[in-house]
Amino acid sequence: MSNRGINDMDNAIFRRPDIMPDRATHFCPGCGHGITQRLIGEVLDDLRLRDKAICVGSIGCTVTSYLYYDVDGTEAPHGRAPAVATAIKRCHPDLHPFAIQGDGDLASIGMAEIVHAAARGENITIIFANNANYGMTGGQLAPTTLVGMYTSSTIAGRKEDRHGFPIRVSEMLATLDGPAYISRVSLHNPANVRKARKAIEIAFRAPLEGLGMGFVEVLSMCPINWKVEPVNAPQWIVDNMIPQYPLGEFKCKPEVEELKKAVRG
Amino acid sequence: MSERTLMGGNIAIAEGAILAGCGAYFGYPITPQNDLLEHMSVRLPAMGRVFLQTESELAAINMVYGAAATGVRCMTSTSSPGFSLQQEGISYMAGAEVPCVVANIMRAGPGLGNIGGAQGDYMQCTRGGGHGDYYLITLAPASVQEMMDLTMLAFELADKYRNPTLVMADGFLGQSVESIVMREPVKSLPPKDWAIDGARGRDRRLINSFEMNPIDHPKRIRLLLEKYERMRLEEVRYEGMLLDDAEIVIVAYGSAARAAMTAMNRARKNNFKVGLLRPITVFPFPSQVLSDLAEKGSKFIVAEMSSGQMLEDVRISVGNQNEIKLVNTYGGVPLTPDMIFEAIDLMS
Amino acid sequence: MNWEITISGFGGQGVLFIGRLLMEAGFASGQQVSWLPYYSGEKRGGMCSCFVNISEERIGSIFISHPDIAVAMNPAAYAMLEPDVKPDGLLIVNESLVKEKSQRPDLKAVYVPTVELAKEVGDESVANIIALGAVLARAPVVTTSSVIRVLNQMMSKNKPQLELNKAALLKGCELS
Ligand SMILES: Cc1ncc(C[n+]2csc(CCOP(=O)(O)OP(=O)(O)O)c2C)c(N)n1
Ligand code: SF4
Repeated sequence: MSNRGINDMDNAIFRRPDIMPDRATHFCPGCGHGITQRLIGEVLDDLRLRDKAICVGSIGCTVTSYLYYDVDGTEAPHGRAPAVATAIKRCHPDLHPFAIQGDGDLASIGMAEIVHAAARGENITIIFANNANYGMTGGQLAPTTLVGMYTSSTIAGRKEDRHGFPIRVSEMLATLDGPAYISRVSLHNPANVRKARKAIEIAFRAPLEGLGMGFVEVLSMCPINWKVEPVNAPQWIVDNMIPQYPLGEFKCKPEVEELKKAVRG
Repeated sequence: MSERTLMGGNIAIAEGAILAGCGAYFGYPITPQNDLLEHMSVRLPAMGRVFLQTESELAAINMVYGAAATGVRCMTSTSSPGFSLQQEGISYMAGAEVPCVVANIMRAGPGLGNIGGAQGDYMQCTRGGGHGDYYLITLAPASVQEMMDLTMLAFELADKYRNPTLVMADGFLGQSVESIVMREPVKSLPPKDWAIDGARGRDRRLINSFEMNPIDHPKRIRLLLEKYERMRLEEVRYEGMLLDDAEIVIVAYGSAARAAMTAMNRARKNNFKVGLLRPITVFPFPSQVLSDLAEKGSKFIVAEMSSGQMLEDVRISVGNQNEIKLVNTYGGVPLTPDMIFEAIDLMS
Repeated sequence: MNWEITISGFGGQGVLFIGRLLMEAGFASGQQVSWLPYYSGEKRGGMCSCFVNISEERIGSIFISHPDIAVAMNPAAYAMLEPDVKPDGLLIVNESLVKEKSQRPDLKAVYVPTVELAKEVGDESVANIIALGAVLARAPVVTTSSVIRVLNQMMSKNKPQLELNKAALLKGCELS
């Protein structure tokens, strides 16, 4: 079913991706996950992946990511999406598994799975939604929580001596030889959303070409748990997250540089 | 008179643990017990005790293992999916005879299920749950007061038997608030002449579950089995209500027992002779009292929020002669007094 | 007396809060109490209920199948609660959102335009407190002054909020 219905003007510059059924998401107002899902939807459309993509839900607010794409889907236990995706790819190299993992899911309970999938150079796509807290369970400390930041389990703020330091996942994974492409993007304004779109496309194209894992860390708004108004959440990313999590590419195999030329934007 | 206060079920577990001298808590967020972890994150550090939010339930249970091996009273709390992950660590602790308390605030499974309260981990809790031959005393509170009292008792029994001890409650009870009477803190903790606290001036100690020698391992297990037998003899706890003349006995625990109590009272007003047997320990299970009631010719209604897991224990206790009916919900749906009353009405 | 109370509405309508106020007031007057939040459907924007027991005796079920008092803050809550209220029970209906009228002759149904009344006292966010006032006016479950004492304690640091809530409570009491 196409979303390009008769009411759409031919020169429309923005529309719901075809692959995304017309249904409301369950995200809070101002949440970044909806934008990330839409960007992935655009890439699935552009790369014509409807029959190849497998959406692996991972446990966090993105668990129901599979509801928003008209592709086959499954659901991994908390943190284990890279393992589930690995096996799908190994058994069916023609398929393309991808997952949107939160920071608790990926960098806490699932750290072993992501590190090993990356080190093995699995040809899968992982989108890492970093919102610096555990959204779904009500805003507790995450491995990516900023020093000094309030969470529901660090009500006096994260303290280095007690809670340790935030993990820069992209930089850490970039020390490995397996991944083809690793970059960190942010959703705080339209220009950056466009960059995020491009990074996500590369993170799909690279494993599709058998070059290794494509990994994009997305700095993503969680206004409800940050306790900021949705309109102010993008600025919160700029003020608080980007200083700790600089944007940019951390890994790009030479073959991926070639691929990039095909990516618009 | 002791102080009356309002408290949430999960918070009462935390406060009960603090009163019982819990020196360390390790846990990972999971609904419906996040408030327990969050409460501990404030309370324990303020008292100079250890709180750590771990990277997973696996880390949490193994931190509990480490802390408990040094003789510290310690605990973790979680909900069903996290409890599944902890089975390996619990099995190691049972094998190594390390005492600790694990609170499982159950939600609906299998898999991710949902966050509604449930009692579907009954088998996992009462049958050991992990690999190997072991059992855990499993306490099943049915009120916020008992969330506190049985947590305190769990620490005592864990030390008494050198065995992990479970507090098993459904998520509804965890989320409920009730009026309770505060308890006094435990004054002195039992000495632990087995703990690994540095071998100054004594022979070294070893806490492990590995036995290379095929002759010695069965001996070790036999000692464990004797311990479980002692639990069966000495630790059975239950509450009986209006059992003396009961023609129908409802068997229920946790928040299902509360619904059963309301149904029983309504039935009594309608002149049905109904009583309630509420296991407080589900392992060891109050089998003897059930078989005595069966002897008197009672009929039974098992009311639980699972496919009928406790039903199996009731069947084993009662045998084949008496009518047993299951009233249940699953998938995170509460059991209501209506459903139980209807079953009473049908059976009478 | 043994009061069983169910309050339902959308998440965000303050359903849990007025249940909490009833519980705290009951507790302060020396009664046994229980309070249970319950979400059906998806948590965000889904149905939200709370069950409150206030009793002189030991409390049985923390879920309530047949309340003595029910408060229906939206149409779904009305559809769910109206058939289940005990005979001679009290049903407070949020008339601002619920257009139906109960056909049950054995029910004391009271229709309260909570949103409009809340606006009259200053802010529609206290529509739930209006509904609570309507409960207190019709059923001697706890006294209005005991609820005011709880509000005083809870909102001691926010005077304008406290005054708004008190005004809403009294408005709900007087108009019912
Ligand atoms: C084994 C297990 N432990 C804990 C949970 C509870 N849980 C659900 S989502 C989640 C974390 C969510 O945080 P994050 O991954 O950062 O994603 P977000 O919700 O912020 O998008 C947790 C701990 C679970 N479902 N399974
Ligand atoms: S809790 Fe945070 S991450 Fe989850 S849906 Fe809401 S805004 Fe998004």
